[in-house]
Amino acid sequence: MLFPTVEYGLFFLAVLAIAWSLYRFPEVHKGFLLLASYVFYGFWNWSYVPLLFGISLFSGLVAQRIQRSRRSWARRLWLVVGLVACLATLGYYKYTGFLLANLVEIWGRFGPAPRIEVYSPLLPLGVSFFVFHAISLLMDCFRNKVKEPVRLRDALLYVAFFPQLIAGPILRASRFLPQLAVPRNPNAIRVNRAFLLIAGGLFKKVVISNMLATRLVEPVFQAPQSFGGLDTLLAVYGYAAQIYCDFSGYTDIAMGCALLLGYRFPRNFNAPYTACDPQEFWRRWHISLSSWLRDYLYFPLGGSRKGRPRMYLNLMITMLLGGLWHGAAWTFVAWGGLHGAYLVAHRLWARIGWQPLVRWRATTAWKWMARILLFHAVCAGWVFFRASSFALAFEVFGRLGAMRWATLATGPVLTVLFLGLAGQYMPARWRNAFEIEMGYWPAVVRGAALAAAIAGIEILGPTGVAPFIYFQF
Amino acid sequence: MRKLTLTHPIRQLFLAMAGFAVAIALIECDGLASWANHLELGPLRTAAVPVTRGMRWAVGWTGAGRVRAGLLTELAHLGWTDDAALLAEAAKAPQTTGCAVAGQGAVAGAVAAEGVTKGKAAGLAVSLGAAAGADSPLAVQVPRVTVLPPLPPIAAGKPRVVALAGDSMMAVGIGATLLRQAADHRNLRMVKVFRSGTGLARPEVFNWQDEYPAMLGAEKPDVVIVAIGANDGQGFQVDGKVLPYGTDEWRKVYQARLASYLAMVGAGGARVVWVGLPPMRVPVYDEKIGMINRIAYTVVSQDPQGTWWNPVSYVGDEAGRYREFVTLANGHTLRIRSADGIHLSDEGASLFTTVLMKWLDPPARTAAAMPAAGAVATVPEPSPAAQKTARPRHVALRRNVRRRAEG
Repeated sequence: MLFPTVEYGLFFLAVLAIAWSLYRFPEVHKGFLLLASYVFYGFWNWSYVPLLFGISLFSGLVAQRIQRSRRSWARRLWLVVGLVACLATLGYYKYTGFLLANLVEIWGRFGPAPRIEVYSPLLPLGVSFFVFHAISLLMDCFRNKVKEPVRLRDALLYVAFFPQLIAGPILRASRFLPQLAVPRNPNAIRVNRAFLLIAGGLFKKVVISNMLATRLVEPVFQAPQSFGGLDTLLAVYGYAAQIYCDFSGYTDIAMGCALLLGYRFPRNFNAPYTACDPQEFWRRWHISLSSWLRDYLYFPLGGSRKGRPRMYLNLMITMLLGGLWHGAAWTFVAWGGLHGAYLVAHRLWARIGWQPLVRWRATTAWKWMARILLFHAVCAGWVFFRASSFALAFEVFGRLGAMRWATLATGPVLTVLFLGLAGQYMPARWRNAFEIEMGYWPAVVRGAALAAAIAGIEILGPTGVAPFIYFQF
Repeated sequence: MRKLTLTHPIRQLFLAMAGFAVAIALIECDGLASWANHLELGPLRTAAVPVTRGMRWAVGWTGAGRVRAGLLTELAHLGWTDDAALLAEAAKAPQTTGCAVAGQGAVAGAVAAEGVTKGKAAGLAVSLGAAAGADSPLAVQVPRVTVLPPLPPIAAGKPRVVALAGDSMMAVGIGATLLRQAADHRNLRMVKVFRSGTGLARPEVFNWQDEYPAMLGAEKPDVVIVAIGANDGQGFQVDGKVLPYGTDEWRKVYQARLASYLAMVGAGGARVVWVGLPPMRVPVYDEKIGMINRIAYTVVSQDPQGTWWNPVSYVGDEAGRYREFVTLANGHTLRIRSADGIHLSDEGASLFTTVLMKWLDPPARTAAAMPAAGAVATVPEPSPAAQKTARPRHVALRRNVRRRAEG
């Protein structure tokens, strides 16, 4: 079940009503949410529900073992067992085909390559996210960040909680389990903020992202040779806006839904294209993933504590693996590597202590230059992220120099492109002011306003097409 | 059991939900009716269609449906919609502004009609009676050996117009690869007439009879390459009767729809190459696709302009079954299918699109020989030519093409 569908709307309205009807009975309430989460996941493919249940049950049991073990080696052993199982699951589902193809390719360089007669497994929806949740549970228990004993039902709900199940944000066990430990507080519901998040997220996802994808990005990335430099440049900018609106829109809806259920999710995007340096970019882009990688990969590797060369190496390893997490292809690794290189270059640049340069770096002019420079560096990375092969990515770069008038720059496309990029500069106080203003409206009017917003989004969105039945297989 | 007392914030939330539900029913009754109509046949659709129909009846007095339809028409005038048929319709109709929106009575009425998708009326719809009349025996199996008939030579200065039509089976893999390869052929002009998530089974959802001419515009294709049907393994409703997938009646109606689609894309004398769907990974789905292939072959083989092109000898194993990887004679291993086990990867598609490209625009040196030989898909393993160019090395490919052209 995907968020921008009527099916999800009906499902969520029912879950919301029942969940708040049960809030006085916390265990029943959580049990119901767990059941709803499995229904949500099973709507896509029931055959993968046991996998989700198995991973969450296993991580919950191992987390309990870690907490109960008194000896350090036993805790470490349980952690290793848990991590190996989680990573093996992720590796099996996500990287089998990639590894097989590459192993055989390498084998073929030394002798006759064997034929691969097996298939790589079908990728379960959201596997990268729920495995990372399971790992967070294990790591936080190991580091004693989860103070209370882990309860199995809470662990199951933490991993499978439906608003974050498919596309995050990646919650931390140490921050989410305490929310599950206490009964829901109706005063925690923030209807206005939730409605704004849902409406804004839907607009970004359904209107901006979809239009940019179908009318600008796809045509160019399908056959860049057919387009000139201006179209190609717009498509690259378009993809930067598309991926931001798609992903942040989705997580905004997730946050809004969680808020209505009385749960707080961490912010996942914070106007990333306004960042002035790569480090700031990663503090604003997919925050839950970048902080996950920092805490569970970069720090255990030694972070910046083992000298500068080691820090640069750690940065590169973290970003390369972060790239691979996004997809099983070398283009994703290249994307991660590029961002690793940006981070290393920025650290080196920031070390230069020549005073005129230090003063220049503090000026507004430089900040804007850095912002524009970083945006284009990020866009270069997106080309690898979007292209299906290196050849295609380089073809896109090559077309940037082709002189030809733009054919895809229509009014609607330019409008949504502008909204997707410039929208990030919208002051937060505008939204806050609107949220406060909404507080004066009667509740019925607020609901009606959300309905009107959704109707407008539906009209502005792409035309309805048949359900993509491939998902059923 | 304690009596549930709604505390203030929960009452507020429930009131907001009630306001939302009532408003959405009032404003979006047409959108919801359209959604219900688009659902796959099953319990959800069975329940949703009468409910949404009742909602539309109950709130019809508000005129929300007409306003919605008027807004859609206005957006089409602005070029906002991605619906080619609606855009074409808007281009023909004079633009209206402001308060004239509600006056779009005729358009609004049409849009609000049962089973429409933002302005489309049923077109590929075939009645049960007509389908029974157009019936012909279904091929038992599709041939693996296929020959592309020779094309007339390309006239100097007049590129051959090739339309790429179909659903995501064309959009993903085949279409993208053909478009990239064609960029190096000045003798070819490609026209995109494909759209993901569509098919021939549900014209009330996406009606190719309206959309194809609108997407084609003024283009007059010489050749149409079609890959369609991956979404069609589902039941549909005709004349109020539910036809479950695979039944004899279903097959007859689908066959008639496919025939009318073929007649439409072949209108104007275009040569139609119908690319069969490749074997699928999940056996149940593969079985469905097998039947759709047999229906398509039955129809296409009876059309003098149509040619069935079976890609299985390139992307299937020796027995014609699904395979994910291909190891070429040069030792390179390609992943020829995408992760969903349905679509072809670019590398997989390029195993046979190179053959299609040679057929569409024969290399200068061999042009004279090509018409006699045609292009044949017979080999169980990729042909040496396909193997040579199978890796997505477009630069290398371009160099080869240039070399051939210069030679």
